[in-house]
Amino acid sequence: MLSCPLVEVYRLSLLSRRFEERVARLALEGFLPPMLHPGAGHEVSQIAALAALRPLDPVIYSHRGLAYMVARGVSLQAILCDIAGRVGGTNNGKGGIMHVVDPSRGIYGESGTLGGGLVVATGMGMALQKKKSDALVVHFFGDGGSNRGPFHESLNWAAVQKLPVIFVCENNGWAVSVPASRSTAVEDISLRAIGYGIPGHIVQGDDPEQVFATFAQAADRARAGQGPSLIEIKAVRLLGHYSTDPQDYRSDVASASEKDPLPKLADMLLAQGLADTAALSAMEQEIERQIADAVAQARQAPLIDAREAMTDLFA
Amino acid sequence: MTHITYAQAINRALAEEMERDENVILYGQDVAHWGGIFKVTNGLMNRFGEERVFDSPISENVMVGAGVGAAIMGLRPVVELQFADFLITAADEVLFKAGMWRFMHGGAFKVPLVVRLPSGSTGAGPEHSTCPEAYVMHSPGLLCAVPSTPADAKALLKQAIRNDNPVMYFEHRMLYQQRGPVGDADDVLPFGKARICREGRSLTIVAWQFMLSRVLEAAETLAAEGIDVEVIDPRTLSPFDWETVLASVRKTGGCLVVEEGYRSLGVGAEIGAMICEHAFAYLERPFRRLAIPDVPIPSAPALVDYVIPSVAKILQEVREVMKG
Ligand SMILES: Cc1ncc(C[n+]2csc(CCOP(=O)(O)OP(=O)(O)O)c2C)c(N)n1
Repeated sequence: MLSCPLVEVYRLSLLSRRFEERVARLALEGFLPPMLHPGAGHEVSQIAALAALRPLDPVIYSHRGLAYMVARGVSLQAILCDIAGRVGGTNNGKGGIMHVVDPSRGIYGESGTLGGGLVVATGMGMALQKKKSDALVVHFFGDGGSNRGPFHESLNWAAVQKLPVIFVCENNGWAVSVPASRSTAVEDISLRAIGYGIPGHIVQGDDPEQVFATFAQAADRARAGQGPSLIEIKAVRLLGHYSTDPQDYRSDVASASEKDPLPKLADMLLAQGLADTAALSAMEQEIERQIADAVAQARQAPLIDAREAMTDLFA
Repeated sequence: MTHITYAQAINRALAEEMERDENVILYGQDVAHWGGIFKVTNGLMNRFGEERVFDSPISENVMVGAGVGAAIMGLRPVVELQFADFLITAADEVLFKAGMWRFMHGGAFKVPLVVRLPSGSTGAGPEHSTCPEAYVMHSPGLLCAVPSTPADAKALLKQAIRNDNPVMYFEHRMLYQQRGPVGDADDVLPFGKARICREGRSLTIVAWQFMLSRVLEAAETLAAEGIDVEVIDPRTLSPFDWETVLASVRKTGGCLVVEEGYRSLGVGAEIGAMICEHAFAYLERPFRRLAIPDVPIPSAPALVDYVIPSVAKILQEVREVMKG
């Protein structure tokens, strides 16, 4: 079996982290609206998960962070234009940051309502199965969203039809201000897989090799026609629910930052001799340059013509 | 040309479209092995196999939501919800996923989905009796077909399946056993073209599905009294053929909408508003609506008959309007 491309996972995670920080700053400056749900803390596992799949396996992502798009190579400039309502984005000012889309890279968008992604991903899996494709659908959602009815309906449906779908619950223990302990009767969402007769796995969000191996296994199962899996990533939400969230409901902010998977992965690269400090700082510089270019281009893009509001409704 | 029932016409449209396009799939509760609780999908599983015609669990959210997912990946799913009322059970999936997924992703996908919705009261109580077309009309991104005859049922369903957009296709249960002429040809009706069922100069009446049959019955009696009504069947509510209705109102100087939905903010309210905006100067008498009063549709036949517009009530309403 392939092993996890750790250096690339690190590079994309760092790119996503720095890009997101930049988006938050641009919002403070007023160039963008502050609509971001920061993914800081989730990137390493999101990217390791996608690294275990094929580059065009369809993804329905969730609201937390931009690593999914970064991992699939959607241009940073296009993402910025989507957020800023400028020409050159992916959704013509219709969906903003929440609905970045690029089917040519397997990015199929997001549901604004929690749970909505589960049902759509299930149907996409149904189409792949009926078209005898060997692609699979991967869908990310939060622990909070897993308490909605569509979670139950989708997992049962996908299981009974043996659909090629990997359901991924990113469990960061919070749904806005409500901790999982007050909303969810089980600690491990993956336990619910038993109720649908499918495998449930737990992976640690700071262990990209474990994430990679588990996704590779679930992918093999899906491609072999054996049906869906439920994978729970134990994740950490380093920042607020949204970028300007004061988090005054939260007492674990300081301890959360100690659980950041990104510096841990850097240490691991150094310890295993996969990179040295010079290589990492060159990587950092290259990332800064890439982001600066994208921002410069996005600043030059014209605003979307307001009449675009009347297009794209019907085919 | 054969005389078949509305239910058989729907069955035929499904069979012909499944024959024509292998991407068409059909699912819903009890539709496959048993042929549907109203027997509309009888025989289709045997003909097209369980891969394409299958029974679904009782999971309305994923039934419609999976239809959207399958549609954006290139299938043309036809989903049967057992009762039209369950449109609301799957509201997120109907209104937001089907109606908005294309728009909010900047036109990246097409959503060629059909949701079949058996509507109307058969005395099964408030949650199994409604005609919820107004919700669909109120929601951007959805098309809404309301066939009233077997021929239209077939031709509009064929259009719905071939259309690249999500279509809410209402089939009225009181019409399932009605017979009518249906051509053998591959007739497909365009959406947004109303049918003038009866020409007249006294008053325009807009009605569809079960109410249309009652209006046409009333029209005979009215004609004998010298009231010569023009009856229009819109065939689709989204898009709506405003041109035909407004032209008729300009000719007759009045309009009554007879509908089986709730009165407040119902389909009739929208028709009335459009007439005020675009044909006010031509009105010789007030615009009127006959609809379900704002109560749930009960179960006992006497109560049902009281709330659903009857031929007698239609006659009374028209006579009153015409008195001025
Ligand atoms: C159906 C629905 N209810 C509520 C919301 C508002 N909302 C958006 S994100 C969120 C919290 C989600 O928590 P979780 O699923 O755990 O994901 P996380 O934000 O922690 O990544 C809520 C309540 C929504 N978008 N959709």
